[in-house]
Amino acid sequence: MADTNLTQVNSPAAQRTNPLVLFLRKYGWGYVFVLPSFLAFGIFTFIPVIWAFIISFQDFRPRGGGDWVGLQNYRDAFTTQNGVFLEALKNTIIYAVVTVTANIFIGLFLASLLQPLSNKFQTFFRAAYYLPAVTSAVIIAVTWRWLFNTQWGFLNFLLGLIGAAPVRWLSDPDIALQSIILSTVFTIPAAGVVLFNAAMNSIPKDFYEAADLEGAGPIRKWWSITLPLIKSTTLYVVVLYTIASFEVFEKVYIMVPSGVGNSTQTIVTQIYQTVFSQFRYGVASAQAMVLFVIVVSFAVIQFRFFRSDVEY
Amino acid sequence: MSEETRKRLSRRKFVTLTGGAVVASGILAACGDNTATTAPATTAASAATTAAASTTAATSTTAAATSAAAATSAAAATSAAAATTAAAAGTTAAAGTTAVTGTTAAVTTAVAGSTADFKTSKSGYKGNLDYWALGYAPGGGNVFSKSSDSAAAAFMKANPDIKVTITGYTPDNAGFAKVVNAVQSGSGVDAFRIPNDSLPTLIQQGAIAPIDDYLTAEDKTDILPNLFDLVKVNGKLYAWPLWVPPVGMYMNLDIFKEKGVDLPPKTWTYDQFVDIAKKLTFSRGNDKVYGFSALFDPGGVDSWPFILSDGALPLSPDNTKYTWNTADAYSGLKKITDLALVHKVTPPDFGTQKQDDLLTAMKNKLQAMWTRPSGDAGTLTQAGLNIDIWPIPIGKSGKPISAGGVGLIAVTPNKDTAKQKAAMDLARYLTSPQVEKDVPGYYLAPSARKSVTVVSPYNKFTDIAPTAWITPSIPSWTQIRTLIHPNIQNAVFGKMTPEQALSQPADEINKLLAQK
Repeated sequence: MADTNLTQVNSPAAQRTNPLVLFLRKYGWGYVFVLPSFLAFGIFTFIPVIWAFIISFQDFRPRGGGDWVGLQNYRDAFTTQNGVFLEALKNTIIYAVVTVTANIFIGLFLASLLQPLSNKFQTFFRAAYYLPAVTSAVIIAVTWRWLFNTQWGFLNFLLGLIGAAPVRWLSDPDIALQSIILSTVFTIPAAGVVLFNAAMNSIPKDFYEAADLEGAGPIRKWWSITLPLIKSTTLYVVVLYTIASFEVFEKVYIMVPSGVGNSTQTIVTQIYQTVFSQFRYGVASAQAMVLFVIVVSFAVIQFRFFRSDVEY
Repeated sequence: MSEETRKRLSRRKFVTLTGGAVVASGILAACGDNTATTAPATTAASAATTAAASTTAATSTTAAATSAAAATSAAAATSAAAATTAAAAGTTAAAGTTAVTGTTAAVTTAVAGSTADFKTSKSGYKGNLDYWALGYAPGGGNVFSKSSDSAAAAFMKANPDIKVTITGYTPDNAGFAKVVNAVQSGSGVDAFRIPNDSLPTLIQQGAIAPIDDYLTAEDKTDILPNLFDLVKVNGKLYAWPLWVPPVGMYMNLDIFKEKGVDLPPKTWTYDQFVDIAKKLTFSRGNDKVYGFSALFDPGGVDSWPFILSDGALPLSPDNTKYTWNTADAYSGLKKITDLALVHKVTPPDFGTQKQDDLLTAMKNKLQAMWTRPSGDAGTLTQAGLNIDIWPIPIGKSGKPISAGGVGLIAVTPNKDTAKQKAAMDLARYLTSPQVEKDVPGYYLAPSARKSVTVVSPYNKFTDIAPTAWITPSIPSWTQIRTLIHPNIQNAVFGKMTPEQALSQPADEINKLLAQK
């Protein structure tokens, strides 16, 4: 059978066939199978991104096309509303730095606690920790809004038990952003725990046995074996959480729908406001492009910092 | 050329061709006449928002109608009509007073002669009409939903070939964004409720159909003429005026009774208001009752009557200049900030409370007074709450001043002329005196038509409407209000002085107003 195919490909007739036909004959089915996901990516991700890039240079009207305005939208993006976009950038960076750091450490910590447990317990805890990931973000945000309520919220109830004055968690512009950050930090980083746990379980036991023979303690083993060998997973989780943090929206939108001055503005809430409250599509697209550049830049930096050549 | 090299080249050619085709189609689509797609830059935000907005809609209890079907007197009709006219005229009580005499005769005529058929559509259209209603929750989630369902049912009964599907959205910035986004997408909306200040942007984008060809002579004499000015662009009229909901002061009477506080005269001053608010701020067991609160939202003007009360209006009469950077405006804003920072009569979350929080506080008798448009009067009455409506306390201007917008029903353009006419017929019916006859309590505010009389508790707003400053119908208003809103909040939080809060956005607003 193999000989027959070889004969067909090497025959003078086959050599005269168009290379594209040959290519499709050999790889065509493969492309057919990836076509649905390729189309979905193209229609729902790639084209919109290209389109947004084009609109960012236009005074765009949904029903009437748009006039080209050069870089005006980018200038407006930073200067409109007394430069609130810069404040949104600052808030988002603070949110991203704190929540990504906290999520990584909490994820690592919990996954490390799970590592020595039996398979049965690991499965149970993985499922339990993953619960927040399958719960609607809106429901989580609404719950946190109630917890933070100044008059009848649970957190102020706890503070009241120790005689502390109630805190205006979501209505004091000095702490509203920190409250939102707190709500994210206190929500278990489900994906992080599961991914770290899987990565830790894939480390060969031999390394730990050798370390035991060398007299290494648990912390030394964690630092010198576990952490380096899950570096590629750490990279993935860091990039995942960084992108999610820069795109924070629904939590802010649900918890402080009318804002707290501009103290809780993030990049995406600002984009939302620019397009859906002010109907300035060009400026919103320019702001979205700025977000795109920031996220890509952070991802590149993280890839360079965390890249690992370790294989096992 | 080796076989391997040829394969590699073929693969490259394929990838290049495919990639090029995708990019080219994207660029072509972007440059072409886009009638069915929204801004892609915000796809993620949009998806998130839709989820959020629908959740809010599901839990929200907003504008509602009363089931009371008592007919109101001719005097009330006159008052309502006069009130609405003055409100549309735009600004102060003085304007309202002038309008009163002008509309009295017209009301009498219109009421007597209102025999037109508003219900039967002669469009010949067979099929579905999508109507987006503000404050509507599916399945009769609130009283307004029930009256909307009943109105749609009455229209469908008269037009068996037409099915009306109602979609709800919340009466706040998020809700308006939702409906505007749907309208801009160019599908799924045939008629929709919209406040006047959101209309110009949509007209500018060609998302609204003019109503001139569908207005009858009776419509023209019945609808208050000044309201037409708010929907007119380049000589064409773009929406069916429905009502004028002004902001009034909701008085939680049981709390007044509990503390033995007498109701003030309707010509009460700010100082009297503060005095009462202080008396009505107290502890009841573990609960704290507050004298006053209001919603602060970029899409609403609930707290604005206080800022207006010393006589300063946000924009010049011709809407070409920002005018809230004056001493009267600063002192007006200080009236609001003092309630929180000096008199301490507001809840700790004052400035960031959601509409639901405020409604719940009123229902649970934890809030004595609330500035709010007329729609919620029905919700609270239906909930068994003992409320009354008072005018806004008088400031330095010496006269009561309220704020509000004009509720409209607009129709989207449709190439199917029969469907277009059917949508216009639906909009006309939903803004007609007939709908109030079919569904008593349908109107949640003083009507835009002289021939409509509204029932209790909404008729309590008829005296307030003439004093209302109406949000301007200019395209830049949607931007202007988002510039003002966070600064008002910051002043309430004590992070900005009233002077800083209202003077800071002046330059940017004036630039917006200068744009054609």
